[in-house]
Amino acid sequence: MKEQLVVVGNGMAGGRVVEEVLARGGADRYDITVFGAEPYGNYNRIMLSHVLAGEDVSEIYLNPLDWYAASGVALHAGVRVVRIDRSSQKVFADDGQAVAYDALVLATGSRTFFPPMDGMWLDDRTLIPGVFGFRTLDDTVAMIDYARERSSAVVVGGGLLGLEAAYGLRQHGLDVHVVQGGPVLMSQQLDSPAGAVLRGVLEKKVGLHVHTGRRPAAIRSTGSVTGVLLDGGGTIDAEMVVVTAGVRPNVGLGVASGLTVERAIVVDDRMRSVDDPAISVVGECAQHRGEVYGLVAPLWEQAAVLADVLTGADAIYTGSRTVTKLKVAGVDVTQMGLRGPESEDDELVQYSEPRRGVHTSLVIRDDMLVGATLVGDTTQVAALTQAFDRRLPLPENRAELLFPQAGQPAAVSAADLDPSTQVCTCSGVTKEAICDAVAAGAGTAAGVMDATRAGKGCGSCKSLVARIVEWAGTPAEGCARCDLVAVGG
Amino acid sequence: MTATHCPYCSLQCGIELETRAGAVTALTGLESFPTNRGGLCRKGSTALELLAHPERLTSPLLRVGDELVPVDWDTALDRVAAEIRRVQERYGPDAVGCFGGGGLTNEKAYQFGKFARVALRSASIDYNGRFCMSSAAAAATRSFGIDRGLPFPLPDIAEADVLLLVGSNPADTMPPAMRWFEAGRERGAEHIVVDPRYTATAAAAHRHLQPVPGTDLALANGLLHIAIADGLVDEEYVRTRTTGFDEVRRAVRADWPDRVERTTGVPVAALRATVHALASAGQAMILTARGAEQHADGTDTVTAWINLALALGLQGRPGSGWATVTGQGNGQGGREHGQKADQLPGYRKLADPAARAHVAGVWGVDPDSLPQPGVSAYELLDSLGTDVKMLLLGASNPVVSAPNAAHVRRRMESLDFLVVTDFFLSESARMADVVFPTTQFAEEEGTLTNLEGRVLRRRKAVEPPAGVRSELEIWHALAARLGRGEFFPTEPREVYDELRRASAGGPADYAGISWERLDAGEELFWPCPSDDHPGTPRLFAELFAHPDGKARFMAVTPRGVTERTDVTYPFLLTTGRSRAHYQSGTQTRRSPTLAAAEPEALAEVHPDLARLLGLTDGDLVRLTTRRASAEVRIRCTRTIRRDTVFVPFHWPGVNDLTSARLDPTSRMPEFKACAVAVSRVPAPLSTPQEVPA
Repeated sequence: MKEQLVVVGNGMAGGRVVEEVLARGGADRYDITVFGAEPYGNYNRIMLSHVLAGEDVSEIYLNPLDWYAASGVALHAGVRVVRIDRSSQKVFADDGQAVAYDALVLATGSRTFFPPMDGMWLDDRTLIPGVFGFRTLDDTVAMIDYARERSSAVVVGGGLLGLEAAYGLRQHGLDVHVVQGGPVLMSQQLDSPAGAVLRGVLEKKVGLHVHTGRRPAAIRSTGSVTGVLLDGGGTIDAEMVVVTAGVRPNVGLGVASGLTVERAIVVDDRMRSVDDPAISVVGECAQHRGEVYGLVAPLWEQAAVLADVLTGADAIYTGSRTVTKLKVAGVDVTQMGLRGPESEDDELVQYSEPRRGVHTSLVIRDDMLVGATLVGDTTQVAALTQAFDRRLPLPENRAELLFPQAGQPAAVSAADLDPSTQVCTCSGVTKEAICDAVAAGAGTAAGVMDATRAGKGCGSCKSLVARIVEWAGTPAEGCARCDLVAVGG
Repeated sequence: MTATHCPYCSLQCGIELETRAGAVTALTGLESFPTNRGGLCRKGSTALELLAHPERLTSPLLRVGDELVPVDWDTALDRVAAEIRRVQERYGPDAVGCFGGGGLTNEKAYQFGKFARVALRSASIDYNGRFCMSSAAAAATRSFGIDRGLPFPLPDIAEADVLLLVGSNPADTMPPAMRWFEAGRERGAEHIVVDPRYTATAAAAHRHLQPVPGTDLALANGLLHIAIADGLVDEEYVRTRTTGFDEVRRAVRADWPDRVERTTGVPVAALRATVHALASAGQAMILTARGAEQHADGTDTVTAWINLALALGLQGRPGSGWATVTGQGNGQGGREHGQKADQLPGYRKLADPAARAHVAGVWGVDPDSLPQPGVSAYELLDSLGTDVKMLLLGASNPVVSAPNAAHVRRRMESLDFLVVTDFFLSESARMADVVFPTTQFAEEEGTLTNLEGRVLRRRKAVEPPAGVRSELEIWHALAARLGRGEFFPTEPREVYDELRRASAGGPADYAGISWERLDAGEELFWPCPSDDHPGTPRLFAELFAHPDGKARFMAVTPRGVTERTDVTYPFLLTTGRSRAHYQSGTQTRRSPTLAAAEPEALAEVHPDLARLLGLTDGDLVRLTTRRASAEVRIRCTRTIRRDTVFVPFHWPGVNDLTSARLDPTSRMPEFKACAVAVSRVPAPLSTPQEVPA
């Protein structure tokens, strides 16, 4: 009799747990049941901004519906779990079924936070037509559908998701206003100089209208949205409103079941609830060492650790280093670690070129990269991410971190090479031997190669041989000087 | 003049040997041979230094106390035969093991496998090719139904418009092959090299991707992800020539560009440019080598590259497709004829009843008398002293070349009896109870199969030194003492003709490749099932070797199996070959020219890492992994990643460091990446030191 593994939540965290458990041979130990509130297989949520921007939706499913059956996983898609009975180890779903578990994984994720605004709700469950969250595939498809007939939109919240929503709606030809309560866009990631550069790019290149330091007070509507009233006066006329003012972890099941919940459900280093070893929690509804993560990489790291634990391997999760990227074509923003220095001893390395939309700042502590913000530059993202993730040694000349060519030695000229330098390492031919061959009458590179066997192996030295032959054959500084140097050396 | 082939790598460059008064006096590249066209590297051109070398073994040696003393052949053979009988009577037939090498001729590789199964009736046989080619072999067999390193002749490399080289450094390891790469570039081809090091090969290419060691699988999947997203897949090819694409398409959805960039360190822009180059080329190749293959997920990594080649419709098209660059001299032939734990000649499966019946018929034995498959190379070495009490070791030096080598050395020390066949007293031979001296390349006849699947004649130019015998003679003499001598002829041609019959009908079919045809100058690539068959220079033009004729996509997922770095072991160690040396160095470290060119192992360390650790060029450091320590001098170079240390593996001690975590399919050890600590060895540094064993 196999153990029963029940996963509540079929998003990127829950779906990944199932894949990781299967990859570890977990099907031998568990019957796996998955509940998902959405009527789909697990899809790649970070692709939603691409979908909104008009990209093909067909490659979004990480686990299409038929995958579950083929993998021996019982999926209840579109079914919510409404209650957990920890004493009898059962979950109860909104379609009336009860499923017993030996191991329960909560991966319920989070939901859009709708800040209080007059006129936003029809009733306590229904938004006014034209108001959207941006969280699910249904949200995205509904936005695309609604945007077809509309010409203007307000995005409430100028964070990462808000800017991706704004960019996506621009691709549908809408006039888009971004209303950001604070003074800086992407304020969780950017300091104010970087935010200012980003704002300039978004206004100029994408054509967004950015309103910082303003809060929406109310939605104006006549059956559907017609505009947004701002705190302190003023109105923006708009036919749709997208609310991207943050998310809230879905912790209701945890609270109702008596699990410890702070900002999210509190777990230990093995991703188990601190209250009940039969219940594990991963993803945006989990709080680990005080952190609640909302990015895919940490979620998947948690899923891998949990899958190890569930299949009997020893593993612990110690937290993740986070890297955030804005996915808007032509506007490249990457942020990792600290936004700025935190003490006198932290080094700050900055390069700013606002006119071109480029702003880079690095924070270095104890000779390690602990923070980086890159706006408008993609060339160093991979290298800096490596330095940040893997704690790489850094170049003494910090400029090399921003401009790698700063560290490159100039190309060696034929004249500068020491006569004893092995030019052809396959055949062991020195510069001096090549000069000798030239002096002995071999006038061409091919002649020298025949005479010395230089270049007869891998051939990678051929161009250098040719340059040396040319240099040695130049009367003014040719063989005579070579001979001199050779004698001297 | 004798036309034959270089004793070193799988390129098997054509050479000519000039002889005078019974000695070889000159070695030159053979202009007419199509892979090297007269070119030779420094290893090949100095190979004569090994023939009349003062350290050459010319008498059997027998251990007497702590010493190996010369004895006559009968004494040595009688003793070994007696030990075989004693061990097998006491512990059973499998307690005598055989460990071979990818440098053995086809005849010897074939005969060694037969010796294990017919003379010893032991399941315990494997060979060092497991450490070399096994991941690529397993992946190719899984995807195509057949494993031949290059499914096309080497010069086809020059025909590729875009060429991606993954974990391969031919500019250092097989320089004469570079002419074909160079010819391609001269035609305007674009070359892309994937390597954690900026190698000489990378320097000659147009683009260099420098991934974290152990992340090639993610890289390949990431390229396929982009190919799918950007509509670069050859749907017609996928539909008509392959199966299984849908699951691969799904699996790589998890390997989106940003994620792959973060895992591998390769920028998204470089990923895009690479896959678009491959897809838009008229003809495109993807070549992998040990850098991609020697990992605990090596088979899946190769499979990921094959998946990409299939999705782009490359495999089987002219000047196109995936291939692997074989390493050892007879790396190809050596894996086809029964040295492998699970194989019979002709690349047949030992577990397959029909294969057993066929080969047993050729051998004139009862199929039921053949043992079942045994364990792989590292597992075999790991079982020494416990399951396997006596080992016959030939053409291999595992105390230098096996992973976790200090452990392997302890296992070998725990044997009841060790027999080593070699022409020098290698580090492994020093541990032996009996050493048999054997012939070298210029002293014997036979065949090898190079990286192209081209069968080549090795020809005798001189008589071996007095006191030296070929392995075929040694195994015959041992078998005779075990009452089975009639099964083991000593003439290479006779052995080869038997090999042809044994391979007939198998995937690697040599039936039509006779010495007469080869000596008449025919260029023959297996499979070649009959005397009038022209051989098969290019595979897969019409069909793959699976029963349905289609290639199989296999979904593979990066699992991050590489040993984790941590505070104690914060950096990555990778190993590979240097330009002047070969394999365990048994030969090249004894060549005065090559030893002078590279007298010791130098660890490559990035200057920024050196600065962090307070090291400077030439410092002696201790490298410590979770298994062992080794002391080496460092060479600071900007060509290596900042978090990675590279050490060439030709010296004792280096492989003490490497990991023996095995690939679940190929049983390939994780040679190419493990976690390492680097610390300075305190002064005094006044005397130059050898790397300690």
